[in-house]
Formats: sequence, C-alpha cells, structure tokens
Amino acid sequence: MPDRDPPASTPEPLLSARGIAKRYGAVRALEEASLSVRAGEVVALLGANGSGKSTLGKIITGITRPDAGTLTFDGAPLHLSEPAQARRRGITAVYQELSLVPDLSVAENVWLGHEPVRRGGIDRRTMKGRTAELLASFAGVFSVPVEPDTLVDSLPPSERQLVEVVKALAWRPRLLVLDEATASLDARQVDRLFELVRGWREGGMAVVFVSHRMNEIFRVADRAVVLRNGVTVGERRIGEVDEQELVQLMTGGGAVAAIALEGHDAPGAAAAPPGATEAPVVLELRRFASGVVAPLDLTLRQGELVGVGGLQGQGQSRLLLALFGAVPHQGEVRLEGAPVAFRNPRQALRAGVAYVPGDRNREGLLPVRPILENLQLPNWRRYGTPLRMERARRDAAAVVADLDVRLASLDEPVANLSGGNAQKVVIGKWLSRRPKLLLLDDPTKGVDVNAKAELYRLLARLQAQGTTILFHSSDDAELLGLCQRVLVMQDGRVTATLEGDTLDQRHLVAAAMGAQGAGAA
Amino acid sequence: MRPSSAWLRNHTYLVPLVLLVVAVALNYYFQPNFFQPRVLNGNLRVMLPLMVLAAGQALVIIAGGIDLSVGAMVSLVNVLLVTLVTRESGPPEVLLAVGAALLVGAAAGAVNGLCVAYLRLQPIVTTYATSFLFSGVALAVLPRPGGALPRALTTFYRSAPLGVPATAYGIALLLLLWVVLRRTRFVQYLYAVGGNAAAARASGVRVAFTRFLSYVTMGLFAALSAMMLTLSTGSGNSRLGDAMTLPSIVAVVLGGTRLAGGQGGVVGAVIGVAVLTIIRNLITFSNVPTWYQTLFDAVVILLALAGPGIVQLIRGRRA
Amino acid sequence: MSRVPPAAVALLLSVALFFLAGLVQPNFVNAAQAINIVRLAAFLGIIAAGQTLVIISGGEGIDLSVGAVVTLGAILTFMISGGSSERLWLALLVVLAVGAAIGLVNGLGIVFVRIPPLVMTLGMAGVVQGTILAVTRGNIPGGVPRALANLVTGRFLGVPGAIYLWALLGLLMWFVLQRTRYGRELFAVGVNRRTAALSGVNVSGVVVLTYTLSGLLAALGGLLLLGFTQRVFLTLGETYLFPSIAAVVVGGTVLAGGRGSYFGTMAGALVLTMTESLLRSMRIGEAYQMIVFGAILVVLLSVYGRQRERE
Repeated sequence: MPDRDPPASTPEPLLSARGIAKRYGAVRALEEASLSVRAGEVVALLGANGSGKSTLGKIITGITRPDAGTLTFDGAPLHLSEPAQARRRGITAVYQELSLVPDLSVAENVWLGHEPVRRGGIDRRTMKGRTAELLASFAGVFSVPVEPDTLVDSLPPSERQLVEVVKALAWRPRLLVLDEATASLDARQVDRLFELVRGWREGGMAVVFVSHRMNEIFRVADRAVVLRNGVTVGERRIGEVDEQELVQLMTGGGAVAAIALEGHDAPGAAAAPPGATEAPVVLELRRFASGVVAPLDLTLRQGELVGVGGLQGQGQSRLLLALFGAVPHQGEVRLEGAPVAFRNPRQALRAGVAYVPGDRNREGLLPVRPILENLQLPNWRRYGTPLRMERARRDAAAVVADLDVRLASLDEPVANLSGGNAQKVVIGKWLSRRPKLLLLDDPTKGVDVNAKAELYRLLARLQAQGTTILFHSSDDAELLGLCQRVLVMQDGRVTATLEGDTLDQRHLVAAAMGAQGAGAA
Repeated sequence: MRPSSAWLRNHTYLVPLVLLVVAVALNYYFQPNFFQPRVLNGNLRVMLPLMVLAAGQALVIIAGGIDLSVGAMVSLVNVLLVTLVTRESGPPEVLLAVGAALLVGAAAGAVNGLCVAYLRLQPIVTTYATSFLFSGVALAVLPRPGGALPRALTTFYRSAPLGVPATAYGIALLLLLWVVLRRTRFVQYLYAVGGNAAAARASGVRVAFTRFLSYVTMGLFAALSAMMLTLSTGSGNSRLGDAMTLPSIVAVVLGGTRLAGGQGGVVGAVIGVAVLTIIRNLITFSNVPTWYQTLFDAVVILLALAGPGIVQLIRGRRA
Repeated sequence: MSRVPPAAVALLLSVALFFLAGLVQPNFVNAAQAINIVRLAAFLGIIAAGQTLVIISGGEGIDLSVGAVVTLGAILTFMISGGSSERLWLALLVVLAVGAAIGLVNGLGIVFVRIPPLVMTLGMAGVVQGTILAVTRGNIPGGVPRALANLVTGRFLGVPGAIYLWALLGLLMWFVLQRTRYGRELFAVGVNRRTAALSGVNVSGVVVLTYTLSGLLAALGGLLLLGFTQRVFLTLGETYLFPSIAAVVVGGTVLAGGRGSYFGTMAGALVLTMTESLLRSMRIGEAYQMIVFGAILVVLLSVYGRQRERE
C-alpha cells in the first residue's frame, strides 16, 4: 500500500514486482512488497533489518521463490526458480556475503558458471583477457595488485568485493542488484563504484541499490523505495526528500530509530562520563602495535566509553583482537596499573577483559547449540565438576531477563533467534562476569534499529556501573552520539583523537580520510 | 609468503615431485639396476592400477568428497572381467567385457553419487556402506578366486613396444587424459564445488550434479584401474582391490591435494603413488629386517604426510 | 528436522529389528538371544566411545587408529598379565597409558602439525600395527587372566559383565559430555572453533584431550575384548574400526561435529550388531550378508544421517 505513487509520466518499467509475499515458517518476511525499476534508473531499496528488503532482493534475483505476487521483466512475466535463470534474463546481483571460491583465481571466479569455451575446453586466454578489461574499471583504487591470475584467497575483503562486482558485470546484466556492495569498500573504491554506476545508468542499465548508508543513497540513487515489516510503505524521488523523511518512513516514526541516524551534531550527547578525569586508569597502552596496527598510546579510565572509528577495515578490529590476546602484539599493556601480556583470549578473560566480535555468526555464536550453552560458554569453570546445572540455568535466565532476550526456552538453538536477540546473547555471555574492560567490534552491524537502541541503553548502564568500554563502530553517527572520545584510524594508524569541540562529523570524516588539520592528535 | 598466484595452486605437485626424485635416487643407490627396463617395467606394472585409482580419488577429493568404496569397485570389476573373458576369448568378447566393466564402474559410482550428492549422506560412511554392497556382489559373482585372461593380453601388458614399457604408455595416457579433462568445465566446477559450494551454487554451477558426476567418474577410473590390475594379475579375486582403498587416499594427500577439497590435482596423485611404491621398494632393498618393514613403511609415510605441516610449524616458530 | 532424538530412533529401530527377526526366524526372539546381542554390541559400543568424542570435536575429526589400538590393548594385556589375574592391574595401567599416549600423539599431530585427522590417525594405525609386528614378530606369548574373563563373561542376575561395564561407561560418558566443563567445551569446539577460542575455550587443549581419550578408550576396549575373545591376533581390532564410525553416525552424531550423544552411539552399536546377527542367523551366503548389510547401512544413513548443506 504505497502512500504515494511515483510520477506516472515515465516509460514502462524494466522490472516490476507487485504484491510480493513470502513466509519462512512462522516468520512473515514479505507481505505486500512492490518495486519497479526502469532502464537507466538507480533505485535505492531501504528498510530497517527485518523489513524484508534482502528477501525482496533474493526474489528478484531468483534465489528465493515468492509465495504470492507477480513479477514482470521487460514486459513479460518472470518466473524464476534459480539464480542462473535470472542471469540468463539479464538480472544479476552483487551480494554482501561473498560468493567467491577462495581457491580459484580472479578470472576463474569471474567466469565461474559461464566460462568461454573453445574447441570443447575452457578458453583460458580469452577468460583472462576479458577479466583484465573488466578489472581495468577499478584501476588505481585497488589496495593490492589484482590480476586475472591472482588467487582470491590472497585478497583483502575490499578487493574481494570489487571482484564480486566485476563478476556480476561479466554477465552483462540489464538489471544489477547491489546488496550492501559498499560494505567493505574504502572511500576511493566507493567513489569509483558510484562513478561506474552513473556510467551504467547512462548506458541504460537498471540498478537496485541496497545500503544502510544514507549518504550513499543520496549520492547515487534517483528514487528510494522504502520497506517496513514486509510492506512497501513509500516511494520518493531523491531530489524531493530528506534523510529525516526517509528515516520516518523506515521506522514508521518510532522514537528509537533516530539515535543512529540523528545525533550528527550532538557530540557526547549520551550519558555523561562518571567523573572522567578523576576515575582510576583501567587500561594503559604504550607503543602498542599488532600487524597493520601502528604503535599507539592510549589511556582509558574507569567508566569511559571510547570509540574507535574511521573507514572500515583500517585496523580497528585488529586492535581489539590484539587487546583480547587473540593475535600477537607488541608494546606495553597495563591493566589497572599491572603490566599484562595476553597470549590468548583465556588470559585476557581471566584478567577481566571481554570481547564482542564483529562477525556474530562466525565468531560469536554456536548456532546449533542451545542458548544456555551459548551464554555459559566462557563461564563453565565457575560451576565446578559436576557442573551445577541448576545454578548455570538460573544465571543464564537472569542474563536473558536482564537483556530482554526474546526466546521460547533456554534450550532452543540460538540459530532460532533474530539478529538483534542473537547479538544480545553474544554480549550476554560476558555480562555475568562483570568485565572491567569490554571490547566491542561493530556490534550493531546487521542489527535492527530497536535492538540498536537497546544496545545503546545497555552500554550506558554498563558504563554507569563502572565498565570501561572500547567501542568500534562503522556507523559514524553512533560513535558521535555515544562516545566521549573517538580514536580515528586510517591504515592502521590513529590519525586523530576527537573529543570536546572536535567530536563532530566533519572532524571524524576528515580524520578518517586523512585530511590536513583533521583534529587534536 | 602466501602463494598469491594461481600458478602455484596449479602446481601443488612440486613438493611431491621433489620427494619422488629423492626416493628414486635412494632406490637407485640401493638397487643399481633400477633403471633397467625389466626392473622399471616391473615397478610400473605395480604402480599403474593404483595410479589410475588415485587419479579418480583425486577428482572426488577435489570436489570435497571421499570414496572408501574404490577398492570394492576394483574387485567388482575384476571379477566381472574374468567372468566374461576366458583364456580363449577373442576380441569381441574382450571388447564386450571392457564395455561392461566401464558400465558397471559408472553404475557403482552413480550409486555413491546418488547417496552423497542427492540424498546428501556423509561421504565417508556412505561409501564405506556401499563398499559392502560392491564386495558382496563381487563375492556373489566369483565366490572362489580364479579365471584367466587370453595370454596375448597379459603378454601385451608386460611388453615394451619401441623399447618403452606398455605401462609407461598407460601413465602417459593417464596424464594426457588429465590435461584434456583439466580444460573442461566439469573439472573446473569440481574445484569450485570443493572450494566453496555455496559460491559455486550462487554462480549457477549445478553443485549436486557436479558432485554426482565426480563419483561416476571415480567409478569409471575404478573400472580402468581394475582392467590394468586384471592384466597384471591375469586372474580374478573378489578381494583383489580391498587393499587399494587407503593407499589411493594416501597417494592423493601425498601428492599435495588437500582433503578438504578445492585444490590439488591428478599429477600429484600419480606422483604420490610412485613415491608410495618406491618407499616400499626401498624398505625391501635396504635390509630392514622383515618384521620391521610394516613399521618402517608406516613411519616413512606418516613423516611424508606430516612433512609440510612440520615445515610450517618450524617456520611459524621462527616468524 | 525431526523432534525425535536420533538416539531414540536408533533404539526403536534395533528393537523393531529384533522382533522383525522373530517373524523371519521364530527361534531368534528370546531373552538369551537378546542378551547375547547386547553383549556383542557392548564391545562395539565401548570401542566407539572414543570415536564419539572425536567426531563431536569436529574439524573433520575421525580416529582411524582405534582398530590398531584395540589390538594393541588386547595384546599388551595378554602379554603383560601372562594370564595372571594379579598382574591384570599392571596390564590395565600400561594399556591405559599406552592408549592415551598414542591418542596424545594423534592429537598433537592434528593440532600443532595440522595434519588432517583422517591422515594422521590412518598413519598412526600403520605405525601401531608395524610396532606390534616388529615387537612380537608374530609370536605373542601370554594368557588371558581369569579375572578378566570372569569380569567380561561372568553373569550377574543372568546378564554378562560386559553389559554392566557398558552401561557404566554409558553413564560415565553422559557425565563427561553433559556435566563437565570439558564436555560443554567439546560441543562448542565442534560447532565453531573460532567462537570457542574467542569465548576463552582452550581449543587446542580440548582437541588434544579428545584424541587422548579416544586412544585411552580404544585401548581399554581392547583389554575388555580380550576377556571375550580369549585369544589375540593381529587383526583383532581392525574389524571394529569402521563399525565404530558407523555406530556413531547411525546414533545421530553429526560427522560435521558439534552435535551428538553417546546414548546415540550405544543405540547405533545395537542396530549394527542386531543387523549383523540377524543376517547371520538367516544362514544366507556371506556375499548376500554383505550386500544386505551394506544396503541396510545406506538406508539407515538416508533416514537420519543426512548432512545439512553448509551455508
């Protein structure tokens, strides 16, 4: 039920989806979704997590079959049962979860599934030549050399993402779905991608652009389609709308939604630090370094919430992992004054450090195991032998109640939980340990706005209880809205420490991009 | 240094090749007549059937599977051959038997492929289970060892046309077959499916079908291997292939193919078989007391398999 | 996914098979026969205990050295005790220590030298077999202690000792898996080693301990098996190798790791033994026994041995 129809003067859409519905078991992913894209148009598909936008993307590209609704493409009905079919019709997607085979070369990946064939065999020369041509459009923005023969396994995430784009282009699509395709790209790479998108648009390609980043939507899209709870709730021309209105549409005016996207100009708006300067020092780093992370000094006081920002993949995660003892590091670390050298996470844990990983599914959860086990994994030592299960269960129940995790039973697999609730479990396993220092690696990635708001409240509460928090986020608004101090990293270096007057969007972006006079060092 | 180019990936057999050179040199030291055609031919005759089998195993392992029924398949085809062919058989019967052998091999492979690829059963246990099926059928076909091939065939297998052992041609043909296969989409997809099945599926590769085909191909290779073996032994035995299953896997791993799939190749597997066989030779010729030979054999193989890991461990310590 | 635990399915299946056997072979169904089958299953079950742990630990975990270690356990008991019941304790100690040491080497090789478990344990099986040959030279002097034979075959309330021992092991395994930190961490390691490590689990330690336990349990299995077979030979344990894996899988433990139970393995051992006994009692030729056994295994696997597609 779109509340406003787009201008009707434009030509027939290339793709049109009407009344799409899709259920996964009891979960209703899409109820009444519609979307239309014309040739030579970039449409942004917006929605909070759980709004169904990725399901809609999957339906368009043939990964998922809809339960109801009609799809037409190029004037003819579209019935897709697999992605290969969509590609043959000219619909291709670049996914957030990478679809590359690490052991194959770039060229082999790009042409996987439609290798050029000559005399019954794969024509490797043609394959490499055409790959080289496609890679040329990203020449100059690669951070490592990328050749057709390069093994994908050896590439960093951003380059893999670009290979993913090239791979989609190799199919010569008429409709390209970019699903969070900028997530792991650096600024120059995003700029180049957007230049290319504009070029493709000129060439008559239709693009569906899915992104969490509001600014990107305003930079590249012509029109925005907003989904909420599986229903298309509005369409707007980008020139006729502002961020506030889109956020309003995405959240239905819910109050919690704003924190992440507002607050651009509200430095240190969250809970005031309880006596920031007089509080005892919890963590002290002297010339601390690890891998890409260049030597840095840092002092954290009790109850501080300090942010780590910058473009994605600048060494922030590595810094947190090194502090947790999960990767080798050099330099001096003092925890509450005592020198420590963690050689593995166990030692860090015993000293009162906790870590919430960025990749929830790969690093934070045991999907097939019960919630109880996920919550108690670090804590079994406390329950003796034989394990006092009643106590473990009671403690887990207390954490669950405290965090308001919505679940049927502690014995159900954690895989049954939604992203936000699963993230609470990842954090919850540390809570009963009352960590002195909590390291958070982009904990709100892929989490819906309500869960984000709850997480912010939890952080504020922990802070008030005296927990020191080091918080990496790829969401600038979040950093600016929550933290008293933000370290900005670029290429493994802390390029600025923002606080007070300098804690604003302008300084943050400038520091992240390495601009001159970016802020107080 | 991480190998960043596809070149090294395509040449995983380099390490086993070095191993082979060392093994051959040692063998030559203990057995100076090693390179005499008669001795060489004798060695190659032993190697060829296992090489063919290991080549098939390599394909299955590259695609992310494993086949523990290969020995039973070899036995099955072997008893089939000696049942269809007698010492007096002429070319038509022999051709018929070859056709039947390939058909049965492919069918046995298809059973495995069906279970693993379409019913999604775990390969290790499934192929273990089907090995009972195949062994049982083999035993039913030929309850007592026996049978014979036309003398011309067995003589040909031992001959050396143009001064080169017939088996050497066989190995050359096997490698040539691999060169041809490597150019096909099918083999390209084996690597893709073994490397990242989800990515392969997203790229439009028919993952289940590719896995299925890998087992069917294995069946064909097992049939070929059985033919070579039958030429070598000249008779049938329903347990003949049993002892080949584990060596076929060891040879593949020795040849630099990762058990997890997605990487490796047939060349490595072929070299792996040569290394395995020569190690056995060495133990025989180096005056190791008989009772110690099994132990020696096992330790050498374990060290060869562990070698790359140990080197990495030492390197890792230094870094 | 069915709600019924695979262990229960396997157990029901073995009971059903038993009565099915009654239809084919009316004199098959009686208490003595049932007890006999459970006793046979007990040895397979005991030998498969370590295999269960290894398979739960994931990382393509599998222990192909159990067969050789079972043989070694039996031979060591045979030689050290020399038939003397007083020396059984010494034999037990040595057997456990040697089994654990072999498992320890497996674990260290897998964790620190990064040899795939299949290859490492396969190689180890060869080394153990080779050692047995080299040391014994095919000539194994010794004897079966009477105490051991009594323990395993002696009956209490009509039930042989082996079954009590198996039940005891079942309880012990349940305790280890469900009521110790090791058990909990083992499942975590099986599902996702990175998550486990980042949650403070000593992943290397858990894996090494798991293979050590597997070696120890296999050696213990060999000792007990000697009490039943009353004689030793070089291939004594080998016949139990693949059945031990099959029992684990038929019992619902997922080969990909992280899920399963020893009760499942016990039920799996019952199913396998039942099938074999049934086939043997039907007096059909060996060839057809093999065919039917293979077919039943495939059917069992397709009922609940399916693997989930890796995402």
